[in-house]
Amino acid sequence: MDFIAVSLFNGVSYGLLIFMVSAGLTLVFGMMGVLNIAHAAFYMIGAYVGYWMTTHGNFWAGLVLATMVAAAIGAVVERVMLRRAHRHGHAHELLLTFGLLFIFEELVKIFFGFYPVSYSAPDSLTFTAFSIFGTNYPFYRLFIALVAVLMFAVVFLLLRFTRAGLIVRASVYRPQMVEALGHNVPMVFLGVFSLGAGMAGLAGAVAGAFYPTSPTMAQELGMIIFVVVVVGGLGSIHGALVASLLIGVMSSFAIGLDWTLADALRSFGMTQGAGQSGILTVRLSSLAGALPFLFMLITLLVRPAGLFGDKTQA
Amino acid sequence: MAYPVKATIFATAVAFASPAAAEGIKIANIENFTGPGSTTNREYALAAKYWADTVNAAGGIKGNNIEYFEYDSQGSTATAAEKFRSAIADGAQIIVQSGSSGIAGQLTEDVRKHNLRNPEHPVVYLTAGAEALELTGEKCHFYFFRFAPNAAMRVKALITVMQKQGALGKKVFAINPNYSWGTDMQTSTEASAAAGGYAVVDTVLHETNKSQDFGPYVARMKSAGADTVITGSWGNDLILMMKEIDRTGLDVSFAAMFLDLPGMIENAGPSSAGYFAVETANREVGGEATEKLYADYAAKLGHTPSSSEVRTIFGMWALQAALEQVDVSGTLNVTDLAKALEAVSIDTPMGKIAVRAEDHQGALPLIVSQVSADAKFKRESLDIGLKPVSLVEGAASINPVQPSCKMQRP
Repeated sequence: MDFIAVSLFNGVSYGLLIFMVSAGLTLVFGMMGVLNIAHAAFYMIGAYVGYWMTTHGNFWAGLVLATMVAAAIGAVVERVMLRRAHRHGHAHELLLTFGLLFIFEELVKIFFGFYPVSYSAPDSLTFTAFSIFGTNYPFYRLFIALVAVLMFAVVFLLLRFTRAGLIVRASVYRPQMVEALGHNVPMVFLGVFSLGAGMAGLAGAVAGAFYPTSPTMAQELGMIIFVVVVVGGLGSIHGALVASLLIGVMSSFAIGLDWTLADALRSFGMTQGAGQSGILTVRLSSLAGALPFLFMLITLLVRPAGLFGDKTQA
Repeated sequence: MAYPVKATIFATAVAFASPAAAEGIKIANIENFTGPGSTTNREYALAAKYWADTVNAAGGIKGNNIEYFEYDSQGSTATAAEKFRSAIADGAQIIVQSGSSGIAGQLTEDVRKHNLRNPEHPVVYLTAGAEALELTGEKCHFYFFRFAPNAAMRVKALITVMQKQGALGKKVFAINPNYSWGTDMQTSTEASAAAGGYAVVDTVLHETNKSQDFGPYVARMKSAGADTVITGSWGNDLILMMKEIDRTGLDVSFAAMFLDLPGMIENAGPSSAGYFAVETANREVGGEATEKLYADYAAKLGHTPSSSEVRTIFGMWALQAALEQVDVSGTLNVTDLAKALEAVSIDTPMGKIAVRAEDHQGALPLIVSQVSADAKFKRESLDIGLKPVSLVEGAASINPVQPSCKMQRP
């Protein structure tokens, strides 16, 4: 019981963290068709800006500055680089962002070194929120979740109830038509790309204080957010939220479960697999990291547009 | 990776006499410089390069310079295999790689096969970091040498010392990365249960440097009722684990094999006081000789060396001692070099290092340390550091020869 409760809490807070990063990616992907490999780099930049600001000022200013710096870099990347590459097709954009990821990573190494920096949350946030079954639940996990929920609410309301949101949503579906109606679609793209980068930056500044801030953090998180975007459906912010939570909770529980294929066979009365080594005795916990990818594979086979994706001509 | 200009001119001048002589002693370091875990892995290369530069600055080995090349494996076995072929094509006769047991498993097989196919031009492979037991077990061969401990050695030293200190509980939780090194740690922890008087209540293998959240693993420690955690995890995984244990207030004795590496104690913070580590070096051991080495390294590289870096330097010293024994003026006779390496025995500031001829495992002194405020050398911005508790001499630390090692000698 206690394990289930703790795992559920951990899974939800981790899921919400990956939502914060993938929300921007799914918006950009859905709208521009650009698979932005460098997206997780904005997350890393946010974490390092937050760290720098914490050592030179305070944590809260770091959150604001991280969002702004990441958004500004995002805007520059879109305006100066992506827009040019866009003419040559998606493959060029993909390669461009791929290169950017490495460049950002090397820059971070030049300025901050190879090793994880000790970026921690202020004391006012590092306390135990509550204890369940003798396990202290850190408040900061709730803080991460809170920021993510607020972010979702703001993005959702913006897209749903504002005129700008209407144009953005329309641009996702029929960019040519929106342009024909006299809207500046490139400007909308710029805004969305910058917003997505800013969101990833904020996520980095918030999460970097809890998880290690290191030059490899972008690559480590990079894969999982692609899974979220694909599973959730291209461009669907709801889909990203649901997929993030699913993957967070799934990973969290898988770690605690030592099911093997042999056990599963045994429950059907097939006992020959037991005791043998090989694939039948691989424990689920050691595959926890591979589960999201399996999930993605199944989604692509069964429902190629993703859970909430309704744009079939991606 | 360009040839030094001086050497090229020299090579042209004596090309008729002995072309190999001018090429120096070619050492290829195939390390993970850019892949995941590269922050930890690249330290080995920094130290190897430091050694090569130091030897060359002092006039080389019997007047022959070391030509030291680096190749980036990007942390992948496939790339490492490719770089091994490049290294051979570039004329390397000595291969060094330390970062990962997984890659070492690939490289040692590549070296074995290369030597079978080219018996006239064998190469020798040294590691100062790949600690998987299989490398000196079923995969052992005459041209592989390990100047690093292995999981069995580390666990044995740790258990003995923790037990003496009364810090070893009765319910041990083993958590390790899911590859050869991690499974070795798990097996060794389970095998030492009787000697340590504990029960292993649960074991788990996790993905290496891929998890972002160790909350679920700590929840599992809690539900297993563990009072001691022994881990071979490293890098981000270890930081995440320690931070999470601190936050959830889990009350356990904690021992990590790679606690000494940069960023670990710094990130875990004051709550890591009392944690145990097993290493091959500690700055408090060895007095003046240690200080001299650490100060020189810091002056040249800008940071004090971690135990990985010191271990690499010691390994290269052993190589140097063997190179002094053989003819290095022409193309190296690698078989002679390997024979000299088998017989090598050197004194380091931490104690004597020798090689066991049966399986080419190094007999190294192991130092069990504890994070404490009494440590002489504190971590940056913290008032704690690693205080040596006990030193286990090489002769006592080495594990029995594994029966699976059937070495064919030339």
